[in-house]
Amino acid sequence: MAVQQAVGIANHPVVTIKLASTSDELMQCYMLRAAVFMGEQHCPYGEEFDGNDYTASHVIMYVDGEPAGSMRLRWFQSFCKFERCVVLRPFRGLGIHHEINAWCKEFARRKGYTKVYLHLQRRHMPMMEKEGFRRVDDRVFNFSDHEYYAVYCELEPVADAVRLDTEPMVMNRPEDRLDALGILEKSAARGASNPHAPRPERRVN
Amino acid sequence: MSTIAQSIGGETITTKLAMKMEDSLHAFAVRAACFIGELDMPYSEEFDGHDFGATHVIAYVGDEPAGTVRVRWFQSFAMPERLAVIQRYRGHGIGQMLLERCRKLADGRGCNMLYVQALPGDVKYWEKQGWRRLVSEEASSGAKRIVAMVKAVDPSKPLPEVEAPESIVLRPEPQLDSSGLPRGSATN
Repeated sequence: MAVQQAVGIANHPVVTIKLASTSDELMQCYMLRAAVFMGEQHCPYGEEFDGNDYTASHVIMYVDGEPAGSMRLRWFQSFCKFERCVVLRPFRGLGIHHEINAWCKEFARRKGYTKVYLHLQRRHMPMMEKEGFRRVDDRVFNFSDHEYYAVYCELEPVADAVRLDTEPMVMNRPEDRLDALGILEKSAARGASNPHAPRPERRVN
Repeated sequence: MSTIAQSIGGETITTKLAMKMEDSLHAFAVRAACFIGELDMPYSEEFDGHDFGATHVIAYVGDEPAGTVRVRWFQSFAMPERLAVIQRYRGHGIGQMLLERCRKLADGRGCNMLYVQALPGDVKYWEKQGWRRLVSEEASSGAKRIVAMVKAVDPSKPLPEVEAPESIVLRPEPQLDSSGLPRGSATN
């Protein structure tokens, strides 16, 4: 599920979604959020970049190769929290936020999560109800000038979710490409020379 | 010319050069808010590959990043570009403050000319701040034409009536490394 492509009608844009795994891709996520939250919704920098960016997974979406949307995921014990979902203005109205949501749900399922939680701007409730989200309770709270609901959605467990008994080298793979050989599996071919050990005990391959 | 405020809502306005990763993120976020968020510029045009060969100046209102400008350095001139101020902080002279910081920076480096590429609609803004067209009148007919403007770094040493020095042309700097196009990272 590494790269999801929507190829449909001839002129439908090509949508690509991946885990941000380089500093460039991370930068793209941040800048899309700055564009939408700071530029359009007038959120202060200090609230948008809240200190949790370095404890989260970031997902980047391209439309015809151009950065167009992003989502931040944080991992708690019993649920995954979706945050900071954005689609740039020129790319709205194509329904592509459903694709990024779907991608993130699959990503969370594969990591073994069966629940997604998020803080939803009240105005978006109808849109997210269609995706199976329900309110946790009837609290309404506000931050950064918007009203929010706490909502959640159940995820169907998958058979190949990562668990303790998962093949160790599978866990080492890039998390959005668990089915493809990872760089560390190639390194296994070098054998264990134990470079930490005193010289006489090291093994030459 | 609007006066330059020292503070907004009791918060002091300061400027500084980006020295750390986090500082550059402040500069980039302000540009993303203004150019991508407000003006719908594509990401790949806004972040064009010149950000790591340039100096970034940032303005803060209290701790909040409020404006930025990027300066690129050439042998015969310094080029401020990507001037941006967050919407709610406009009208307080922060743009001027940033450009003044660029001028001092250029002065300190022994540079004597500042050069900008302005949109025709913004020419008056620049002229009010002492800039003049590099090539007098003509050229700027089309709506999106860019106007080259210059200003002396030291006001007591006005620029001679230069014919456009050869290096100053209305053309984007050639890609320094055509294999490293910023767009490349966005495909696939």
